[in-house]
Amino acid sequence: MKRTMLILLIIVAMTGVSRAKVDLVTLPTRDTVQLTIYNSADMTLVRESRALTLKDGRNKLQFSWANTLIDPTSLEMLPKAAADKIDIADLSFPPRVRNLGLWNIESRVSGKVPVEITYLTSGLSWRAFYMGTLTENEETMRLKGYVRVTNRSGEDYENAQTRLIVGRVHILDRIADLARRQYPYGRPGEIVPMIMDERRLGLPAKRAMVTAEMMAAGIPTAPKEIKKEGISEYFLYTIEGKETIPTGWSKRLLSFDVDEVAVVNLYKYEEQRYGRSVVRFLSFKNDEEHNLGDTPIPGGMLKVYRGVGTQGHLSYTGQSSFKYVPVDEDVELNLGAVANVVVEPTLMDFSTDNYRFDNRGDISGWDEIRKFKIEVKNTRDIAVKVEIRRNFNTSYWELEKSGDFDELEEVDKDTVKFTLMLKPRSAKEFEYTLTTYHGVRQDD
Amino acid sequence: MNSKRIKLIVIVLLVSTAIVQARIKLVALPERAATVIRLDNPQWTLIEEERVLTLQQGLNKVDFSWKGVSIDADSIRLRVLDHPDKVTLLNVSYPPDEAALVWEISSDKDYAETVRISYLLRNIDRLITYKALADKAETAVDLTSFLVLRNFSGEDFERARVLLDYGEAFEQGIDHEETKQMLFLKVPKVPITKVWTFDAAKLPWDPEQLENKNVGIPVSYEIVNDSESGLGEFALWGGKARIFQDDGHESTIFLGEDVTALVPVGEKMELYIGDSRDIVVTQRKMYERQINKRYNKRNQLVLYDTDEQITAKIENFKDSPAVLTMIQHIPGQWEMKECNMEYEKKDASTLEFEIKLPARSEAGPATEELKMHYHRRNVRPGVRPQISPQFRR
Repeated sequence: MKRTMLILLIIVAMTGVSRAKVDLVTLPTRDTVQLTIYNSADMTLVRESRALTLKDGRNKLQFSWANTLIDPTSLEMLPKAAADKIDIADLSFPPRVRNLGLWNIESRVSGKVPVEITYLTSGLSWRAFYMGTLTENEETMRLKGYVRVTNRSGEDYENAQTRLIVGRVHILDRIADLARRQYPYGRPGEIVPMIMDERRLGLPAKRAMVTAEMMAAGIPTAPKEIKKEGISEYFLYTIEGKETIPTGWSKRLLSFDVDEVAVVNLYKYEEQRYGRSVVRFLSFKNDEEHNLGDTPIPGGMLKVYRGVGTQGHLSYTGQSSFKYVPVDEDVELNLGAVANVVVEPTLMDFSTDNYRFDNRGDISGWDEIRKFKIEVKNTRDIAVKVEIRRNFNTSYWELEKSGDFDELEEVDKDTVKFTLMLKPRSAKEFEYTLTTYHGVRQDD
Repeated sequence: MNSKRIKLIVIVLLVSTAIVQARIKLVALPERAATVIRLDNPQWTLIEEERVLTLQQGLNKVDFSWKGVSIDADSIRLRVLDHPDKVTLLNVSYPPDEAALVWEISSDKDYAETVRISYLLRNIDRLITYKALADKAETAVDLTSFLVLRNFSGEDFERARVLLDYGEAFEQGIDHEETKQMLFLKVPKVPITKVWTFDAAKLPWDPEQLENKNVGIPVSYEIVNDSESGLGEFALWGGKARIFQDDGHESTIFLGEDVTALVPVGEKMELYIGDSRDIVVTQRKMYERQINKRYNKRNQLVLYDTDEQITAKIENFKDSPAVLTMIQHIPGQWEMKECNMEYEKKDASTLEFEIKLPARSEAGPATEELKMHYHRRNVRPGVRPQISPQFRR
């Protein structure tokens, strides 16, 4: 359904008087259309090219967009040929008419002129989502990325070059709100003039049309490729070929398919964040070593499966959403609390010492000494990495440690992190003694 | 539809016997001649219109009335153009319960006198919008600016000279409820500086604590309003700016939008375009202790200094270099003991670092680390001088 309309009116100037005869001349159709769809905001940049037949002199071009979600303040037209001979005098939004713009064009050429019309519209969106399939030993994962493009703009876009923008764009007004304004730029003194209760634009799907289009396009032999490139702070995904997305429809496209992404089975324990349970993470890195790293990975939901047996059966491991991952950054997927890796901190001993008294005989300082034993058990058939964070709630502390752990790191002034690598079906144990200083003992 | 809502009627009083008469409206409706819409004041629009009054020798009454438009009655002025010495405005009176006024004009002869009437009209104004198209390398923008005339005044202006506070006047007609958008500034290749800014008081310190959320580092373009930029002739009015970028495929992408304030000549316009997620800052307080503690006789702590260490790791995951402006805050009285990077003290508690980040290499992201070791001096318990919420961790 075409809801944007372009009508060319040619004004034959008559004897220099302000009266003019208006002729409706042609209804040029869209030659090509390009969609650049954002996902951080409900916004799409549409660029369409059309060939206008201009006459020497004053031309009026009427553009209307009823029942769409076009932001009229973003409308722009640029001649792609004879630009120096075509002067776009103004764009006027006439009174008492909605969803209509009128370009006044002064032309010193007559004949066909290609023009490009750009505008921002709302109602098209895309999102990324992922499917990961772990090998049975959980050492590597096959990672498939998808994008799903949805058109709820009210306008059918046929044979459109489709591009997706990955990144967070700063916008001041929602395009949908701008599209619903009664007057394109509002009225003087008004802050947000909007028309409420706009008829919803949910439109019935038109199956017949899509099948017809697919028949015409022939049967493709491979999924379309998505070209990715960096531009400013964004990534631009260009979908190979052309897409037809009627309003109301969505399309799922494969963004990438990478096998043998090495993964680390990471288990974390941190009482302040996760309570007294162990949380499973799956981690990998967006780099070459992991067969990735060409481009950042847009945030989305990842469903993780695990291959079972030789028949290609699957078991569902869990799902996690993840944030945008720049090239070379680590990805950590939180797959939730588990019981098959166990971390048990036990307070084995508590004492106080080194009391200080003030001149009235009251206690002014002391030390607290806590001895912890931490048992870590891996009941799984695969090797795992365990990170244990301990928060001390004070920056006046000292630590003595002993036992079986691989690494200790001071994260910040009151947090340390123990790292342990555990073989399949194994256990480790370590101890530490934490001395914290209170009152005037902090000065000593 | 032609809505003439402002009327001018000339009433000629043949015999003036100083008695209050009924106002007789004679049919002499002088057509509006040259009309000027002055938009140089952002709050008020001044209309100047010229009309030819057919004056007769003696006393003339000119009735100026309006309906359906909002005119500030006190702003109405009349200026005699042809015979200012011979034609005199004697007084102005406001009839009761009417949007009108009556001028009493004395004339020494019969004249077809051109007068200029000016008044402030509401609900007609202008907006400015900007469009900046950046090149692929983000070194310059093609800056265009549009003037948007909005007329909701109730009056149609068939043809008027529109004046801004600078530039040439232009002819334009605009009807009631009409909005018109016109190109009025086009400057190619205006140099820009791209800046990334991390303000420790505004952004979270430790992205790891954020459970799956990216911290965006704000990115802006800076444009200087001077002759080197091809600008600098006049102050750039505030308005909404939409920024696009050439994508290298004969097309553009939309980068972001921002509202600029008025930018006087010589000043910088800063356009915030969005957030970068390819520069990551992880800031942590690694050490904090109270030192030099002083107690009162009841052994209560009354004064102390602190010993604090902050590290901020900056990672550039981009494949191009960047300069990050990092803003740190240390409240109250303080003393830097050690700092591995140079900074500029912007005010008593604000430090600004310019951190040059090379592009990501084969080995991974380019990493820089800021280390600050400082003392806060003479801190009183319970008194926290200008500590922003982010700082109090």
